[in-house]
Amino acid sequence: MTPNTLKTEQKQELIASLINEGEKDQAIQLLNEWAIQTSFNEVIFSILEPMLINWGKLWMQGKLSLAHGYISGKVAEEFYLLAANDPEFKSSSGKIKGTVILGNAEDDFHPLGRRLVRIYAQAAGWNIIDLGTDVPSEVFIEKAIENNADIIAISAMMFTTAKNILKVRQDIDKNGLSEKIKLAVGGAVFKLRPELVSEIGGDGTVDTAIDSPDLFDRLINQLKIRN
Amino acid sequence: MNSLERILATVTGNETDYQPFTMLLSLYGASLIKSDTSTYYRDPEIWFEGQQAVVDTFDPDIVISPFSFPIEASAFGSELVFLNKYAPNIRKPIITSLSQINSLQIPDFEKSEAIKFFLRGNELLSGKYKGNKAIASPIHSPADLPSLLMGIEMWIDTLLFHPEYIDRIMQKTVEHFVRLGNEFLAGGTTFLVVPVNFTNPMMITEKIFSKLLPYLESAFRQIKGPIVIHNGGCKIMSFIDRFVKLPNVIALVLEHTESFDEARRIIGDKTILMGNFDGPNFVNLNREKATDITSKILNNRKADKHFIFATSNADIPYDTPVETIKTVVDTIRNFRKYDSV
Repeated sequence: MTPNTLKTEQKQELIASLINEGEKDQAIQLLNEWAIQTSFNEVIFSILEPMLINWGKLWMQGKLSLAHGYISGKVAEEFYLLAANDPEFKSSSGKIKGTVILGNAEDDFHPLGRRLVRIYAQAAGWNIIDLGTDVPSEVFIEKAIENNADIIAISAMMFTTAKNILKVRQDIDKNGLSEKIKLAVGGAVFKLRPELVSEIGGDGTVDTAIDSPDLFDRLINQLKIRN
Repeated sequence: MNSLERILATVTGNETDYQPFTMLLSLYGASLIKSDTSTYYRDPEIWFEGQQAVVDTFDPDIVISPFSFPIEASAFGSELVFLNKYAPNIRKPIITSLSQINSLQIPDFEKSEAIKFFLRGNELLSGKYKGNKAIASPIHSPADLPSLLMGIEMWIDTLLFHPEYIDRIMQKTVEHFVRLGNEFLAGGTTFLVVPVNFTNPMMITEKIFSKLLPYLESAFRQIKGPIVIHNGGCKIMSFIDRFVKLPNVIALVLEHTESFDEARRIIGDKTILMGNFDGPNFVNLNREKATDITSKILNNRKADKHFIFATSNADIPYDTPVETIKTVVDTIRNFRKYDSV
């Protein structure tokens, strides 16, 4: 059976198998071929997203490694970029759920979790503006106002850098934005010390990047109810 | 039977007078002597004072020379951040682009304050306890060290998509590992402890592991003493069949949720198994719970002559009550290991 004649489930398995072997370029090439034969929408919603959701579950259960998550994230990231250039996909894309300003806390140089959040949240329909590592509070606020953002999402790996998020909380409140912008926080330190979320003024957190779209959904719903 | 004899009996599979044990109380030494951690992790004399307090208070069979992988990475130039009541961490990795690997300098042991801290701490520990206690020296695996020099993401990315750079950095980390490991052993260390924080199935795929194994084999073969593989806070079960075949490996420390019985099925009866009380969780336990967990582990390994009770994962936290740790120690000392076996 050639890849062209495979059933949807078999295509998902084939992509999973290529990712498992670290064959990122082959996986993207195959997805692209299928997209040409059908459409980017078809490939994303029937093959890639169900596979990613399944992998996310396996990852959370400890059955896949961080490297698996990294490769699948890279495949998704590069394929979404291809899709973004497709006029049909652009015109048929669903409504953007909202805008998230994403970045690592000031002094934090651990980008992996943040990058995975960006990939999974973009795939779920969020407009993500990624500011990178070591982002000062003023830049988070400035970009949030400039882009009329709904959520500021900040990643921090360590206790010391997580404490820098408190400044963002204070600046949100000081600028009268607390009714308009929610503060999502995440990173290894919040798993170890869950009480830290409220201590630094976070509005919510999740344990893994794959859950970040659900957190953003919850937070934007809170804003809608309030406003 | 002193502590060293007890540990050596475990290596040869002979009976001991009581269950040998160790705990990762490196950070806790600072707590016992009320030292701030930034001094404790810079001054080997202060650090040694803390470890003497650990021995005086808990009397473990294995004492552990200075333990901090970020400090080891700082010897290559990575920036450290010192944290109150925690061990230091990496603020910023030294490598931010792959081209910098070529100019990465292996630490000069004569000049590096970080390396001098490790070696002097080990020297002080050996001077006091050699011949009486087993001395364990933690050292970063050459396959894990790049994750602190360039960050986890870049190291995974390199292993997956930039194979030409793997050998360049691994040559440097293997050379450093062999030199530092053998310096420890020459300075009185009984065995090296090599955590696999990165080289484990929670972090990497089988395919990546197979790329790293030849480097580990080469590095371990050049070490002039025994090696203990430590879980580093991650599950290691699906890799242990490969770990035990590496040169000089005599023991594995399992992660706290992993099964000794399963490990024995995979690797047989001869390799020492250690574990598996979750060290970082000590701070959350009352004495009854600590006793209960300790007893379960001891009873599970009652007949196992190649077993050393140990904490798994990272350091026991700074704020853990002394009584909790003493409760665990008392439970071990009162346990009749070979009765009714």
